[in-house]
Amino acid sequence: MNAPLQMANLRGGYGDADVLFDVSIDLGDREIVVIVGPNGAGKSTAMKAIFGLLKVRDGSIVFDGQDITGWSPDRVVQAGISYVPQVSNIFSEMTVHENLEMGAFLRKGNFSSAYERVYQLFPDLKNKRKAIAGSLSGGQRQMVAMGRALMLQPRVLLLDEPTAGLSPKYMEQIFQISRDVRDTGVSILLVEQHAKQALAFADRGYVLAAGRNRFEGKGSELLADRAMAEMFLGG
Amino acid sequence: MLDFINFYVVPGIVTGSIYAFAAIGITLVFSIMRHAHLAHGDMATMGAYIALAASTMLGLPVYFALLLAIPLTAALAVGTDKLFYEHLRKKPKILTTMSTLGTALMLRSIVQVVWGVGTTSYAKGITRPNDWFGLKIKTNELITLLALAVVVLGLAAFLNRTRWGKAMRAMSDNRDLALLCGIDNARVITLTWLIVGGLCAISGFFLGINTEIKSMMGWNIILPAFAGAILGGIGRIEGALVGGLMIGLVEELSVLFIPTEYKAVSAFAILLLVLLVRPRGLFNGKII
Amino acid sequence: MGFLEALNYPIYVAIFICVYSFLAIGLNVQWGYAGLFNAGVAGFFAVGAYTSAILTSPDVPGRLGGFGLPFIAGVAGAMLLSALVALPIGKICLRFRGDYLAIVTIGVAEAIRIFARSEEWITGSSRGIQNLPRPFGDLPYVYSQLAYLALVAAILLVVYLLVERQSASPWGRMMRAIRDNEVAAMAMGKDVPFRRLQAFVFGAALMGLGGALYAHLGRSITPEAIDPMIASFLIWIMVILGGSGNNRGVLAGVTIVWIIWTASEFVTDQLPMEYALQAKYGRIFLIGLMLQLVLRFRPNGIFPEFRPTQKDSRKPDKSDKA
Repeated sequence: MNAPLQMANLRGGYGDADVLFDVSIDLGDREIVVIVGPNGAGKSTAMKAIFGLLKVRDGSIVFDGQDITGWSPDRVVQAGISYVPQVSNIFSEMTVHENLEMGAFLRKGNFSSAYERVYQLFPDLKNKRKAIAGSLSGGQRQMVAMGRALMLQPRVLLLDEPTAGLSPKYMEQIFQISRDVRDTGVSILLVEQHAKQALAFADRGYVLAAGRNRFEGKGSELLADRAMAEMFLGG
Repeated sequence: MLDFINFYVVPGIVTGSIYAFAAIGITLVFSIMRHAHLAHGDMATMGAYIALAASTMLGLPVYFALLLAIPLTAALAVGTDKLFYEHLRKKPKILTTMSTLGTALMLRSIVQVVWGVGTTSYAKGITRPNDWFGLKIKTNELITLLALAVVVLGLAAFLNRTRWGKAMRAMSDNRDLALLCGIDNARVITLTWLIVGGLCAISGFFLGINTEIKSMMGWNIILPAFAGAILGGIGRIEGALVGGLMIGLVEELSVLFIPTEYKAVSAFAILLLVLLVRPRGLFNGKII
Repeated sequence: MGFLEALNYPIYVAIFICVYSFLAIGLNVQWGYAGLFNAGVAGFFAVGAYTSAILTSPDVPGRLGGFGLPFIAGVAGAMLLSALVALPIGKICLRFRGDYLAIVTIGVAEAIRIFARSEEWITGSSRGIQNLPRPFGDLPYVYSQLAYLALVAAILLVVYLLVERQSASPWGRMMRAIRDNEVAAMAMGKDVPFRRLQAFVFGAALMGLGGALYAHLGRSITPEAIDPMIASFLIWIMVILGGSGNNRGVLAGVTIVWIIWTASEFVTDQLPMEYALQAKYGRIFLIGLMLQLVLRFRPNGIFPEFRPTQKDSRKPDKSDKA
């Protein structure tokens, strides 16, 4: 399998304390992979590890055959991975259009086609391009955040709980847009709190608990797994 | 009525313009670097004296001396950042604030050793105000107001229209996200110090040309400048403009109600009041 | 007798070290324990000095006072009033991060300085307040100085032991927890703003005590004494150079910095007139530079706070792969 992103046996955390003990995650080409698990399992931490936002003490992160472990965020972005954090993921005092522009900050030359693609994916944003991002609804802000992350045309998009606090309608919309994004050739790794819905929508899933891999497999298989369902999905 | 305007409102607006120049710089440091810049006043003093030196030693007209003082003070600001603040970036911001106090003392000391503690001015003699149908305004005062308009409009255009201006706003808005966008924080910080240093020179110069030049001149405006920045709302250029002007007006008008000695305290009282009832200021700025 | 007179100067220096130690320990309670940046130490020092002066000095026509209270009442009043001034300031500022407190305390010190210079009926404006009682003031000079030193040192010892005991108590541990990780402390249900306010007010009271002892030493207080250069900024260097959080370190910091400071004055006084004045201003550069150098090379001070529960952060962690 051609896997653009491979995290192998990661151990690390913030300061001196470890949060991850042994986490391995592969993300294939044009694949949507979801990480689920109980609170404090290290789901978001695993994602932050890719962006060099924590100390990785053991294990490796390989992107496109290149070891990117411990790279600074701007280098990771430049290599082709974009990240949408769970909170404060937009420039709330800037307009929607300026948010996208900041997303393309590293891009040289003309990138009007990038705007076009993002506005095509998020038609709602096109009418609001002059609006201050902080004044939008939660779902629209999530779209701004994703749009901003897509401006550099990354190969991999990381989404940290993109549907947290959104209504079911917006959740469905975010999932649908994620599929559209995937179809443009982007692999997506996301962390989700809504485990059932996310596993149903993703290609594959990983279940983390206490900083270690517990289960992995196709989304539908994980959903059908009784042991796993009883432990993590509330029966 | 005209007397009221000539004696209180005009001086208030002129003083307020000087505070506004300083408050804009303070608000930029506060919102982008996230610490208080306690050396702001003494850096303004330094700018004023650099302009003085340029005009006396090189024989330049004072306004040309200002054009020389701006880049020099800007370079000084970047230099203090590299020397004293850069290594503190990853530590609690309060240590940088403390370091700016150290910078303030060093700058003041340099001014006092080189130029002494006496009072001087850019031009000898008293300039008579122009009379505009009873409205009395000196030429220097008009230039002060004009310069404020130019600086504010120029800065607004830079921040809203250019790539690096927007990067500065992005970093003030959400520093972590700016990093995730690949915005080079170090460059934005250097750029900000360049602008802030230039603004310091401008505020010091106009303070000097409208009042007098002395070693404590900058330290004496640090409270009203901070009051203006916080009254306007941290991170808001338009807030610092309005806040600075309002503090200047209040100070001049305060002498109608309280003894003159307490003029300087009125700015401080407003600062406390704003922190108490509306810490985000008039323009809904940040709370750092 | 000759031997004792040779001790005049050392005793004088020692008294000053003790007086400034109150300011430094007060600042250590605020900064070292609670992480509060009080840039206006001189203001609280002044409140203490003037309060004790007004309470204890004889009557002067046209000025508030003439209470003629004993020394001990003046000192108690000084601590109380400094604390009372700190209370509303703390209430307003401690809801925010430290920078606001720094700005506001600069303003407080400035406002108090202006007040001291302007309000003749309370502070005697530029003439100040004279003829304060001084304990053991009737003894011959050397003995009087020695006795005053003993008194100040004894009070300092009591304050030191009190603060140390408080620091070792659960209160002290909690304060450090708040300082080091405010969010975690808040999550554990600690009333963070209230605890900080306690530290701020208590520290201010100690500064007031230092102010009172300063005023009684010279039997007078004038606005010149409220020099922020010494009473605020030099105190800061003493605290962070000595090692904030560690009272013994702070006392060592006071001693070292004050000796360097007085020695530098001694040196500049030897210079010819025209340079002496400039050199005096040059010493301010020294204060600023010392502050920068300590922040850069010795951020934990010469005697860092002893923290048995944590690894020494300055040693490289061996498990780290650089």
